[in-house]
Amino acid sequence: MSVRHAMLALLSEGPKYGLRLREEFEARTGDVWPLNVGQVYTTLQRLERDGLVATVPEGDRGNDGGDDGAHKAYHLTDDGSSELARWLRTPPDLSSPPRDELVMKVLVAMRVPGTDVREVIQAHRRYLVELMQQWTRIREDDASDLSMSLAVDAELFRLDSVVRWLDAAEARIARAGAPGSTDHPDQARAPLPRHRREARTPR
Amino acid sequence: MSLLELRGVSRSYGEGSASVNALQEVSLSVDEGAMVAVMGPSGSGKSTLLSIAGTLEEPTSGEVRVGGQPVSAMSRGAKARLRRRTIGYVFQDFNLLPGLTAAENVALPLELDGTSGRKARLAALRTLERFGLGERASHYPDTMSGGERQRVAIARAMVGERKLVLADEPSGALDSVNGEAVMRLLHDACKKAGMGAVVVTHDAQLASWADRVVFLRDGHVTDQTAPPKDPQSLLTPEAET
Amino acid sequence: MSTPVLERPGSAADRVGGGGVPARRAVIRWALRMLRREWRQQVLILALITAAVGATVVASTVATDTPAPIAGVLGTASDAASLSGPSAKVNSEIAKIQGLYGKTDVIENESVPVPGTVNTFYLRAQNPHGPFGGPMLSLISGKYPATAGQVAVTSGVATDFHLSAGSTWTVAGKARKVTGIVQNPESLLDEFALVLPGQVTNPSSVTVLFDSRQSAASIQKATGLTVTTAQAVANTNPINPETISIAAAVLGMLLIALVGVGGFTVLAQRRLRAIGMLAAQGATERHIRLVVRANGLATGVVGAVAGFALGFLAWLAYRPHAETSAHHLMGVFQMPWTVIVISMALAVVAAYFAASRPAKAIARVPVTQALSGRPPEPKKTRHLAIPIGIGFGVAAFLLLGAAGAGIGGDGGGGSMGPLVLGFVVLAVAIVLLAPACLSVVAAAGRRSPISVRLALRDLARYRARSGPALAAIALSTLIAVIICVASAARFSNDLDYAGPNLASSQLAVWTPAGPYAGMAEASKDVPASGNPKGSGPKGGGPDGQVQSGPPPVSTAQAHRVADKIAAALGTSPASMLTLESTSATLIRAAPGRNWSGPIFVATPQLLNAFGIKQSQINPDADILTMRPGMSTMSLMKLAYGRPTTSPPSGYASCPTVSCVANPPIQEIGQLPSGTSAPNTVITERAISTLHLQNSVTTSGWLITLPKDLTTAQIAKARQLAAGAPGMSVETRNSIPSLAQIIDVATIFGILLALSILGMSVGLVRSEAARDLRTLTATGAAPRTRRTITAATAGALAFTGAVIGIAGGYLAAIGFFRSNSLDGLSSLSAIPVSNLLAIGVGMPLAAVVIGWLIAGRDPANVSRQPLE
Repeated sequence: MSVRHAMLALLSEGPKYGLRLREEFEARTGDVWPLNVGQVYTTLQRLERDGLVATVPEGDRGNDGGDDGAHKAYHLTDDGSSELARWLRTPPDLSSPPRDELVMKVLVAMRVPGTDVREVIQAHRRYLVELMQQWTRIREDDASDLSMSLAVDAELFRLDSVVRWLDAAEARIARAGAPGSTDHPDQARAPLPRHRREARTPR
Repeated sequence: MSLLELRGVSRSYGEGSASVNALQEVSLSVDEGAMVAVMGPSGSGKSTLLSIAGTLEEPTSGEVRVGGQPVSAMSRGAKARLRRRTIGYVFQDFNLLPGLTAAENVALPLELDGTSGRKARLAALRTLERFGLGERASHYPDTMSGGERQRVAIARAMVGERKLVLADEPSGALDSVNGEAVMRLLHDACKKAGMGAVVVTHDAQLASWADRVVFLRDGHVTDQTAPPKDPQSLLTPEAET
Repeated sequence: MSTPVLERPGSAADRVGGGGVPARRAVIRWALRMLRREWRQQVLILALITAAVGATVVASTVATDTPAPIAGVLGTASDAASLSGPSAKVNSEIAKIQGLYGKTDVIENESVPVPGTVNTFYLRAQNPHGPFGGPMLSLISGKYPATAGQVAVTSGVATDFHLSAGSTWTVAGKARKVTGIVQNPESLLDEFALVLPGQVTNPSSVTVLFDSRQSAASIQKATGLTVTTAQAVANTNPINPETISIAAAVLGMLLIALVGVGGFTVLAQRRLRAIGMLAAQGATERHIRLVVRANGLATGVVGAVAGFALGFLAWLAYRPHAETSAHHLMGVFQMPWTVIVISMALAVVAAYFAASRPAKAIARVPVTQALSGRPPEPKKTRHLAIPIGIGFGVAAFLLLGAAGAGIGGDGGGGSMGPLVLGFVVLAVAIVLLAPACLSVVAAAGRRSPISVRLALRDLARYRARSGPALAAIALSTLIAVIICVASAARFSNDLDYAGPNLASSQLAVWTPAGPYAGMAEASKDVPASGNPKGSGPKGGGPDGQVQSGPPPVSTAQAHRVADKIAAALGTSPASMLTLESTSATLIRAAPGRNWSGPIFVATPQLLNAFGIKQSQINPDADILTMRPGMSTMSLMKLAYGRPTTSPPSGYASCPTVSCVANPPIQEIGQLPSGTSAPNTVITERAISTLHLQNSVTTSGWLITLPKDLTTAQIAKARQLAAGAPGMSVETRNSIPSLAQIIDVATIFGILLALSILGMSVGLVRSEAARDLRTLTATGAAPRTRRTITAATAGALAFTGAVIGIAGGYLAAIGFFRSNSLDGLSSLSAIPVSNLLAIGVGMPLAAVVIGWLIAGRDPANVSRQPLE
């Protein structure tokens, strides 16, 4: 998630102060991505440097005074508008494999003598489900906040996909007849993951 | 107090070499206000567990207590009364009686229990209202959408003074948004009305609604989740890297 | 199975989607495979068809084989003439017949008494290899007589005279050698000694068998002889057993078709997923229809064949009993093949049509819906069904009216056409209207407890199967109701009623002047009174063809014979009750069914015999009767047959001068109720007042034994009476009483309805098995499930009974409204207890049975049924 483009999106509604930008950001992402004040200023300064936003002239600012970033108001430039439109329509990079670490752990578990792969998988699954329980807990009280629901959905679906991968892995390992680890070295050296990696390298 | 308690419950089907152990030494306890999910792949014994908990099947061995009362000592009539008054059952495929309207389906357990038709209908309408189905009350099941049908089924499982809801893949035939709505209904019933619920599912997203997730594999309970942590820990600024 | 039978030439569009013969063959193969693999699902329909065909086979065989066969009278000839008198006259008559019609077979009989007993037997001269008499003779052991000195005897004669093959026996003044044991296979009661033609010197009767192929009238014209023709024998029984069997088979198969519709609907829905799969693979609607229809056809064929096998085995087992009770032999394969083939074909047709409707319905289900196993939405009652049904009801009413006007008129017969058509139309009306009645029932039960409401709602929703079932139940009760109501209307008539003629322990010996004077004197079986046409068995045994005999015996001679009969029965002649009659007859001359009949004289002996004291009798009474209601009946006339110019003082005159209107009648319950017994008598006071003393004649004697008469006693009495021309013996016949008729009809109707109900409820509830699981999970106690099944059964039974009773009365009112014999008023005789049994008892029984058979816990409540 790009904080930079989020700021542009917030400013597309009209000129805003830095502090307010931070509040609105947190509100719209359903408190899922907390932001500290420093991040907001740095981002705003960079945007100003790139000519995507500009500070609102003093005279138009009313009487709240002050000269630090928190009390400066910003508005979107024309360049900023076009950059925002471009960014919204650019697909994010989904080609890099997610959760490599978990995949590697399961693959490794198959090779480590005396390790019950199913137990390893279950440990990860339990952790993931506990994590999902926490995410679900966030929204259980309030279903009306649409942005938050979408954000939580994203997290849940991501975690769910990992749980499903674990389910599939467990079923596949069970079908391959390798309940333990070292009993079936041939199975353990299954070349499938390597192929997958090789297939991805040219990208 | 435990609404539902299973102690060392086993169930096997068939005889001799052909026998299959659907459940082996399963213990499970559900307290008031608790929502327990049972997760496991298909064939792990989830449905058998639910049938036994719902007094629809007898365990081969082990003890089942509902509201502290051992079920094995009950007559068939007493078990049926238990299902009318204490336990509500929700099926994956809704299982509404096609010959009855939504309101009549919900009123069914009350009427079976001897409540007068008018009173039962009022209670059913109230429950349907609560589930946002007030104006569908006189519709027949085959004119309703899947989500509506399952909500009616849950209303039927909760109408009256039910203490325990047993749900078998309650949103298995629904899309995720309808599924979430169904789970939210079950969750609210536990948190607000102090009911206990057991939800059998293979879907982690649905299971994540539960306070406790029990993992079932090959008829054994293999694992369960720890008590949930404070969700605010997810929202600390450190989470963003 | 032949495909072409199933397929009509299809439209071009059909052929595009078709796939031709190979596709149809594949589909049929699949249907047959389904039948073989899942025959258990069809076991109900299969059992129904098997039972119906089996019952038809046995019943029609027994019914057609039981009556005395024509061959017992005629052999293989078409005509028989009975001759008697001097041998010269007999010989000339035989010569005349031979001259006119060619070959003859002459059978001479001489009645010979068995010494020391009252028994007689015939010395019979007959050519065992004669052209026509073959069927009347068969050899049990030994040989037929070949020379004049030889004789063959029946086993009865052999026992009486202690004879066996090889022994020498002097009979009719000549010593003969016994060569074998013979019998008349067509009449096992016929006892005789067989000798060669020409050996009977003094025949008491001569029967000539010949083949003219002409009507009795034309033979009589040509020869001056009265003859018995095959045509005449056949005509005495216009409603022959085969006709009845076929009618019963048609009705039975109609019921099967109705129940079958429900069965095949359920079956098709159970296979919905498989059928959806078939459709998804590209099977056309036509193919799917074919699957279900082929299944129905195959079920019909299997059921018909199994039913025939079952029926044949039952016939083999029952044949010895049937032969014993009918007194003639029956061949193993002597079966009404036409009836059997028709009923088997009907079974197949019924099953095919039963499968046809579900076939059409299931073929219309969208594929996706079929794949998901969801049955098609229950259809609303077709709007046209109700008006059409009502139209058919009205048509039935009018047709039956036409039948009522036609039957029983002066012409006697009247056509059966409108009657049959009327019932068919009525059945169609019931089939059309029954489903709509279910909606009414469901609506009526709206306020009932949930389990009852659920049962009624299901009946109304799943009309495809419950409607035909209801129609079948209604039809079976309709039959019972019509029999009850019509019998009650017809036979409740106080004057002209049905009932046994005599008690089983009674025997009446009639003089030639008795009540059957003028009827075929030699006929052994006397037709029952009560039915003006005489529905009693006619035609008699092998010697029944005697048409012109010697002059009747005098009363004094008859008395001696009666004394002998009493002695033979082991009772004293003094204990016989003399029955005297006068020329007076009691007449009811009202519009509608008239009645007249002889009345016996209330002699002191008669009153005493029935324990009636003089003091009981109203001194003014002219007539005493046991018939309830007769004393208050209007339009009664006592015709006393003696022309006088005016009736005696105190009597009003009636149109004919020789009778008195409304004679005083007193009801006395002690008089016997038998139709041939003295149930109505004229007092001696009336006889003297009306000056009837001179017309009093002895018409017979009533012998009452302490125990029921045995067959041997009856046979003895008949033999004795047969020796006296004009005399006859009457014993209890098999005419059932009104109560018996309607009770049997009621029980039959109730059992039929209950068995159909059992199957239908099984079908309806089996489809609701899934709902039952839901109910169980929702907390329905076994009691609830019992209530649902009981309510389903009770509602079907009650609605069926109501429709049946309504239809029965519709038919009865339609018929009697325009019937000249029994008007509408005859319907006031309502068989209340029988209608209550049908309308209340049968539903109650259904409820109880439903309650008892339900209540089992459904297996695997949480699981889906495996398809």
